Amino acid sequence: MAAVIPRRISPAAFGKALAAFRAIVGSQGVLDSDEDRQTYIDPYAMGDGLDHDCSAIVAPATTEEVRALVRVANEFKVPLWPVSRGKNLGYGAASPAERGNVILDLSRMNRVIDVDVKQAHCLIEPGVSFFDLYRHLAEKKIPLWMSTPGNSWGSVIGNALDRGIGYTPYGDHCEQICGMEVVLPDGDLVRTGMGAMAQSAGWQHYKYGYGPAWDQMFFQSNFGVVTKAGLWLQPEPEMTAKVELAFPKFEDAEWAIDLLADLRRRDVIQHNIVFGSPVRAASVVSQRAEWYDGPGAIPDSACEAMIKKLGIGWWNAKVSLFGHAATVKAQVEILRALFEPRIGKPLNFELWEQGDAPDKSARGIPTTVGLQSVNWYGGRGGHLSFAPVMPSDGKLILDYARKIKAYYEQVGQDYYASFTIGRRHVNNVSLILYDRDDPAMVTRVDKLYRHLVTEAASHGFGEYRGHISYMDAVADTFDFNDHALRRLNDKVKACLDPNNIIAPGRNGIGTRPA
Amino acid sequence: MSASSGVKCRPSRMVAAWLLLATMVAGCAEGGQQAPAKAPDGARMPQSQVVMFGAGSADAGERLYGQECAFCHAGRNTGTIMLGRRMDPAQAELHKRTDLDADYVKAVVRNGLVNMPPFSKIELTDEELDKVATWLARKGPR
Ligand SMILES: Cc1cc2nc3c(=O)[nH]c(=O)nc-3n(C[C@H](O)[C@H](O)[C@H](O)COP(=O)(O)OP(=O)(O)OC[C@H]3O[C@@H](n4cnc5c(N)ncnc54)[C@H](O)[C@@H]3O)c2cc1C
Repeated sequence: MAAVIPRRISPAAFGKALAAFRAIVGSQGVLDSDEDRQTYIDPYAMGDGLDHDCSAIVAPATTEEVRALVRVANEFKVPLWPVSRGKNLGYGAASPAERGNVILDLSRMNRVIDVDVKQAHCLIEPGVSFFDLYRHLAEKKIPLWMSTPGNSWGSVIGNALDRGIGYTPYGDHCEQICGMEVVLPDGDLVRTGMGAMAQSAGWQHYKYGYGPAWDQMFFQSNFGVVTKAGLWLQPEPEMTAKVELAFPKFEDAEWAIDLLADLRRRDVIQHNIVFGSPVRAASVVSQRAEWYDGPGAIPDSACEAMIKKLGIGWWNAKVSLFGHAATVKAQVEILRALFEPRIGKPLNFELWEQGDAPDKSARGIPTTVGLQSVNWYGGRGGHLSFAPVMPSDGKLILDYARKIKAYYEQVGQDYYASFTIGRRHVNNVSLILYDRDDPAMVTRVDKLYRHLVTEAASHGFGEYRGHISYMDAVADTFDFNDHALRRLNDKVKACLDPNNIIAPGRNGIGTRPA
Repeated sequence: MSASSGVKCRPSRMVAAWLLLATMVAGCAEGGQQAPAKAPDGARMPQSQVVMFGAGSADAGERLYGQECAFCHAGRNTGTIMLGRRMDPAQAELHKRTDLDADYVKAVVRNGLVNMPPFSKIELTDEELDKVATWLARKGPR
């Protein structure tokens, strides 16, 4: 493998930068061999992933080390790509948008600094994973719950910074962040919210502070490196109930989404609801060839077979209720009255009360079982996710789903959709599964993704989160007033980071000319 | 670049390990044609226990396995399901295996295997990997 170095830097200067990095974090904290860089290649890369290869990895253990590294990066103009755990699977994992960046791996900064049991919040470092936080709470028997994403291997902070989501009342992860500590691109250190007071009596109980609240500026951006953040946790409720709803027909999406979205807006359902197609369910428990082994997209007849054999619907939703026992029981009856007559079957709720086994509850327990889905085609699998934001209107969504399904079929990839229903929006997660070592499939997948970006934009729908290979393509669809938002982002970037050393190109900000 | 390139073969035991690894890769390339998945569940430990695997163990290797591997390789999780497709499902959880060799474990962890991504030295240092591998090989061939 040829040595990779950052753009426009001489090998000699890069060597000096690496030596300066080693002086800060020690030799074990800097990796630059081919073997070590290979462990940071996106496991879902389309092909070998070398188009997003890094030049080295630097892993600090403290905020002071991060500050020192950022100063050195400025001195030598070495771009750093910060990741918290780097498990952003489906969006590029730890790999940088621009080939040759140095990955700033924060996973050694993994302390749970404080948990306030009474006020239900904690202060953590970026390397704390969902598993770490769960274990911390369980080992100390702290009755606070967390929300977890479908793949919980990653970092609580990293996921929130990409506006990741989970499926409990605390599932909008960026909304649970309260107070951040950030190393700015010039090495300065700020705390947001009440943390801006040196003698603050606490900065995890109020988000805004005095004057502008800058926190949002550090989500899906490259304006700083987050080194600590506060997180709100859910006080353990008295009771939960969970139920799986199966809607038999494709057309059911219209009424079902309207009804679920209404319940979500009214907070009867307090969490983001996943509403998914048969391949979504089947890909976690089986492989494609068990249903269909032919060319082209999987036919409807195979989906019908899944529906029958797995006892699911064309659309499937998991709904959970949380609260005091009297409230939960009343809400169970509300859901029964609304859904049973239309589905034609009794709903089968699983109830949990304090003291019951954790697995019966609707709390977030970290898991990686969803990763199984990338084995759909066999071989080294991967997936790409395109998830445009839409207004939560059942008819609009059904019409759009029909059109997108037809396009998947035309291209020859299996239609896998889920609609994540929020309070006033729906995210159409169009997942594209592939075998990364099948070049023809990779070409189809790229074509499909690019088509989805343009098609969604032509309806006025924009993506909620970007994959490293398509960050510019997505940013370009936010084009009001000749891309005024990109101009603003780039102005802020030039002001805070004149050397463009933090994550150039992240979300289309500070993209360098080729 | 394949997931299994870049490893330097050291002791002779590695050769046996590589043969096994190669068989597994080949088997998986045909994954699609294999028998329908029998998701090994039934007696599997619940997820809330998988997450706590090895907590409090006196053996650092077991504790590290609990933190870094169990979420895929214990209970009804991705590693268990994938391995259960091509071997005795009763042994599909890594900590139940009796055929693991420490060098083989290390090679797979550093290079990945089919859908298992490789682990970096930041995530798991060489010292830590030694402990996990030794613990996993405790019931293995001597
Ligand atoms: C099967 C499957 C299911 C999934 N389900 C979900 C799901 O339900 N919900 C969901 O949200 N995601 C899901 N994902 C996507 C992804 O795996 C998770 O979001 C994961 O948590 C992201 O990885 P991470 O937390 O390690 O973040 P990282 O990879 O560490 O961070 C993500 C990005 O944020 C930025 N960043 C991270 N840390 C910092 C920092 N400290 N300072 C500045 N910038 C930073 C970087 O640009 C980085 O690339 C799923 C993936 C798969 C494969």
